Amino acid sequence: MSFTVLAIIVAAALILITGFYCLVKSRNMIRMIIAIEIAMKAVTLLLVFAGKVSGNMDLVQTFIITMIVMEVVVAVVAAGIAVSVFRHNDSLDIDKLKKLNG
Amino acid sequence: MTQVIFVILLLLMVIAAVAAVMVRNLIKSAICLAAVSVFLTIILFLLGAPLAGLFELSVCAGLITVVFVSAISLTTPYKKEEASELAKKRLARFIQLPFILALVAIVFGVMLAFSGMNIGIPYATPSTFSTFKEVFWNMRQADILGQIIIVLAGVFAVVVLFKERDEK
Amino acid sequence: MPTSLQFATATIMGLPFLAILILNLVNRKTGNQLALGVGIIVAVIQMISAIICAGLLWANQKDFIDFSIFWNMTDSAFAGRLSIDFFSIVVLFCIGMVSFISFLTAKQTVGDKKLNFTNLLMVIMLGMNGIAVVTDLFSLYVFLEITGIASFVLIALFKDPEGLEGAFKYLIMSAIASAFLLISMACIFMNVGSLVYSDVAAAMLNWQAADQPLFLMAAFIFFIAGICIKAGVAPFHGWLPDAYQSAPAPVSVLLGGIVTKVAGVYAIIRITSDVFSGVATINMILMILGTISIVFGAVATLSQKDFKRILAYSSISQIGYIVLGISTGSPIGFLGAVLHFFNHATFKTTLFVNSASLEKQVGTRDINEMGGLEGKMPLTNVSTILAFLSTSGIPPLAGFWSKLLIIIAVWQAGAHFVAGTAVFASVFTLAYFLFVMRHVFYGPLKEGLEDVKETKGSLALATVLLSIVTVGFGVLFPFVLRFLQAQGML
Repeated sequence: MSFTVLAIIVAAALILITGFYCLVKSRNMIRMIIAIEIAMKAVTLLLVFAGKVSGNMDLVQTFIITMIVMEVVVAVVAAGIAVSVFRHNDSLDIDKLKKLNG
Repeated sequence: MTQVIFVILLLLMVIAAVAAVMVRNLIKSAICLAAVSVFLTIILFLLGAPLAGLFELSVCAGLITVVFVSAISLTTPYKKEEASELAKKRLARFIQLPFILALVAIVFGVMLAFSGMNIGIPYATPSTFSTFKEVFWNMRQADILGQIIIVLAGVFAVVVLFKERDEK
Repeated sequence: MPTSLQFATATIMGLPFLAILILNLVNRKTGNQLALGVGIIVAVIQMISAIICAGLLWANQKDFIDFSIFWNMTDSAFAGRLSIDFFSIVVLFCIGMVSFISFLTAKQTVGDKKLNFTNLLMVIMLGMNGIAVVTDLFSLYVFLEITGIASFVLIALFKDPEGLEGAFKYLIMSAIASAFLLISMACIFMNVGSLVYSDVAAAMLNWQAADQPLFLMAAFIFFIAGICIKAGVAPFHGWLPDAYQSAPAPVSVLLGGIVTKVAGVYAIIRITSDVFSGVATINMILMILGTISIVFGAVATLSQKDFKRILAYSSISQIGYIVLGISTGSPIGFLGAVLHFFNHATFKTTLFVNSASLEKQVGTRDINEMGGLEGKMPLTNVSTILAFLSTSGIPPLAGFWSKLLIIIAVWQAGAHFVAGTAVFASVFTLAYFLFVMRHVFYGPLKEGLEDVKETKGSLALATVLLSIVTVGFGVLFPFVLRFLQAQGML
């Protein structure tokens, strides 16, 4: 397979791993939301690559547009929850959210 | 020539994503996320998805950055003493990331290159606005309905979560 | 199309919209007063339209109904249709029933947030109805996200620290699951060129001969992982106990009764029977995951003290039974899984309503602080006994029949060890529930609980209705079985 194709798949995998690594290892709630967004970018790259390979670019563009709308709403809701937590705890540290046991 | 441009863009995208994870300041991290979106937009344009690229630029590189910056401005993460302590430990936690990425890139790339898969890119009819319009409005009606509903859900979410009312 | 069909399909996707419009165009005070009433009307109409659809399917002897919204596109060949079949009707009816019970619970527990609660519940009903009727993988993702967003906000409705924590954990795990689902859809799209269920099923039948079989295998694994995270199947269940415990009372009723099941197990069943039916290993994977869920859920309740957390782990166990039923691939197993879906909606909702009653009257959810309540709360006592017995599968209650069908199907599929484990877990569940009952209701009355009164009003009505359904269904089911056998379906 050509080098571009290989590069796209590897780049998408790398960005995905970056996003999930940040999600697991970070302690700030807003950074976790940024990590989710990074993972979504990787998925967008993979989707557009799938569209190019299968030849059906129109359908993939509709998927990407709808996915971007979903992503924005998830980011807004997550930011809302983070701000509400800050108003309670005065801190965005996820380790301080241990009220529920186990 | 376009191959080289592609590879450079992908590399810049990965570097911007790693930067978004590893910088300390939250606002700089949000700006690195916007940079990832910008590079993704250019890649989308080059691959033949101009409408998706338009959406990606205006929404992800614009709207989401505004949301993040406003959320960050409404909150201050740590107090000064805690912040410097955490900063030192932070580098230790995140320094493994570039090495893991390099390792995965080499292993995965070699595996894919020698797996014998042949992913060809067929010649397809270019995606023009009229074909896209037909597909979007005739075939994906459930998605359109879903977008309307989720925007409604987002509006209700903002009303519930962001309003500060006196709890007396 | 006959007008009854138009009415029924319009109510599924359009009526909650109308309700949102009505509730938000009047001013806030009127909206707050009207909200729960409007919600109850919408839920009841949904139940009625589900029954109408069932009648139409039966009368016309068809397997499914296709319909479209916005404008008539049944003439175009690639139209993305919405379709209802037998299982969708059961799911739609359950959605209506549990939403109705949730509104009854909310009457006494929500306070002044009635308008926000009803708005969000209308959105979540739209989302779940959408999941039940779509025929396309990407639309499934869209409606899964809608249901998820509305659930996060509902869990965090009162903005108490516990609720916010549960909502954030659920959000993070749901976002990971969505990323997995989208990756899987991209890999499928590379090979198939479309994401409609029938196209993907046709391509999966000989998936080794596709263009990139490795990508299809990766797609399959990612899809199972993503959908199991959303469903709360062990070992991907991390968010479930926290979310169920920290949600407000009517939201727990909704989550435990229907949301997790539609957004998870229903999607698994739909994918298994319609999309991935060609892949041979899916049955084995689902059987393993189902067994792990059953055993883990039953055992993990041992160390819990909070009543709602016990119910959450029991939900994980029952979802394992449904997954086990579908993994056998036989019609008996499928029928058992569908039935257990309905029964779980009934008895789990009863238990959550009773936990809301207990919390409201006694003031705590910790079982160690309760004791001897049988004299003070007889109605709650009886309905909790009935619901627990139905959960463990004791005849003649409804849970017995569905568990029996599932275990028979597993036995017939040759996995004797798994069937034995399922029976053993059932007995274990029963033993533990009797222990909880003894703690909460029997024994000496603990000090400080002297002036606990019985629940009244809407919570009592909800409990009574659900108990009648549990007992009635259990008693009437043999006739349904005989009827189905006469039709030659078993």
